[in-house]
Amino acid sequence: MKQPKFRLLLIVVAVFALFAAACGSDDDSGETATEDTTETPAEDPTETPAEDPTETPAEDTGDSAAAAPEGPTIRVRGQDFSESVTIAEVYAQFLEAKGYDIDVLTPAGFRTEAIDGISNGDLDLIIDYIGGALSALAPDAGASADPDAIVEIIAPLYQEIGATLLDYSPAVDGDALVVRGDYDATTISDLAAADAVFGASAACFERPQCFLGYTDPDIYGIEFADTVTIEFGPLLGEALSAEEVDAVVWNTTAPQIGEQGFKVLEDDKGLHPAQNIAPIVVNSVLEAYGDQLSADLNELSAAITTDDLVAWNIETDINFRESDEVAAEWLAAKGLI
Amino acid sequence: MIGGVLAQAAVPRDVGVFEFLFGAEYWTGAGGILTSLWDTVVLCGAVMIVATLVAVPLATVLAHHGRGELSVTWMVTLSRAVPTFAIAGLLVPLSLRRGWGFEPWPIFIALLLLAIPPIYLNTYTGVRGVDRGVVDAARAMGLEERNVLFQIEVALATSVMLVGIRVAAVQVVATEPIRAFLGGDGLGRYVRDGLGQNNDNLLLAGAILVAGLAALTGAVFGLLRRALPPGVRRIR
Repeated sequence: MKQPKFRLLLIVVAVFALFAAACGSDDDSGETATEDTTETPAEDPTETPAEDPTETPAEDTGDSAAAAPEGPTIRVRGQDFSESVTIAEVYAQFLEAKGYDIDVLTPAGFRTEAIDGISNGDLDLIIDYIGGALSALAPDAGASADPDAIVEIIAPLYQEIGATLLDYSPAVDGDALVVRGDYDATTISDLAAADAVFGASAACFERPQCFLGYTDPDIYGIEFADTVTIEFGPLLGEALSAEEVDAVVWNTTAPQIGEQGFKVLEDDKGLHPAQNIAPIVVNSVLEAYGDQLSADLNELSAAITTDDLVAWNIETDINFRESDEVAAEWLAAKGLI
Repeated sequence: MIGGVLAQAAVPRDVGVFEFLFGAEYWTGAGGILTSLWDTVVLCGAVMIVATLVAVPLATVLAHHGRGELSVTWMVTLSRAVPTFAIAGLLVPLSLRRGWGFEPWPIFIALLLLAIPPIYLNTYTGVRGVDRGVVDAARAMGLEERNVLFQIEVALATSVMLVGIRVAAVQVVATEPIRAFLGGDGLGRYVRDGLGQNNDNLLLAGAILVAGLAALTGAVFGLLRRALPPGVRRIR
């Protein structure tokens, strides 16, 4: 009698452990992976999503010798929107092809979670927009359209949490006040006389570079006829087309702007900060790899352009393709992997 | 956009939960708690009225004639399976393209589908559950069929019906805040803004308001049931 009961118990425990392992690995696979092996040796959380095309680093002949860089695993995670996911994939696959040990985590959260991840040691590499980072790290600092001025402020703040801001990319995904193509305005100032209905996500309404700046009498001083809070994303375009709102806060690389014939109003008073993308690496990882890692990352950052971001977004948001495929294709086309 | 601390849709970050809930300036004005509360109550009230008008007569007539037993099983399943947020979310773009705006149709229809099953279910089982002996006695005493339905069956099922309406009302009130995530306002706006602006105090205050209103709704229907005449109340 004892035998079957014991076996049943074993099965129950094994199943439970499998579940626990599968669930736990989402957050920090580094820690749970060691626990897994003791209980369920078969369980091997395959975190990195299909990196098929990058699997062959053999072609990596030309540059920087064949010596694979040695150092700790670099954990990278995109924020939970398609552009950030694609950017994270591009950086991850590029580094992986160079021989770095990369772990791509499931995309989660937004800027706050990314910065938290860096400061509490869950993440080693994030790629963020410098203007956004400025409003998160130094909300009271005035915005600037000059990326170097922003870097000057945020680089030391990243050092405070033990991370280094590397060179920013020429690729920019800026804030944009978007109106319908036939709307009678070309600059944001034109809206002051338009009695427009304003739509934006909840975050915009408390940001000085967003709603507060548009309505501030010292900056744009626009009095909107009404405001609507709309979830950031395609719904902004739907609301704009339906004439429920006249102006929405979107990002300049949103593919729907081109697809649906909207126009981006000119920021004639320079309210919007520069929003170049830039990688941020934890210092310990950066030091472990020496100069090679920063050189490699800077090489990639310099190669990405704003048009690339738009092209990626068209693939992921309009054609509904997977971010890792889009990333792999782009890297291959550019000869970077 | 006149007056009110909340007119700009942003609550200062340093406002505490209790300060927010008990501060008069947060209750009045555009975007204030009173306005949001009113938005929520009006929508929920409209949904409940329509849901009751649809579900109660249908269920009563079917139960009286002993038809559609299977519909009860369907409703039980449905009441567990309706994905309110998904329905409303899918309807919003449709509504926008037709020029009907963000509100109220998408959220109204989604909440209606949420509210109908419990009311239908309780009304049907309530009417069916009336003691057959009582119904037969009424018929034997010469009551017309119409009066058997209204004076006996519906009257005796009232208590059970009210329970169904109460369940539906609490669900509707507790679910209505999703409308804030779909271009609307109402009490859910504080939850939405709290999440979007990373303002935990606002988020918590919003959750307390929503939960409070839901609890209050339940309590009101509980009192309503108590107000029924004793004979009707006892039969469940």
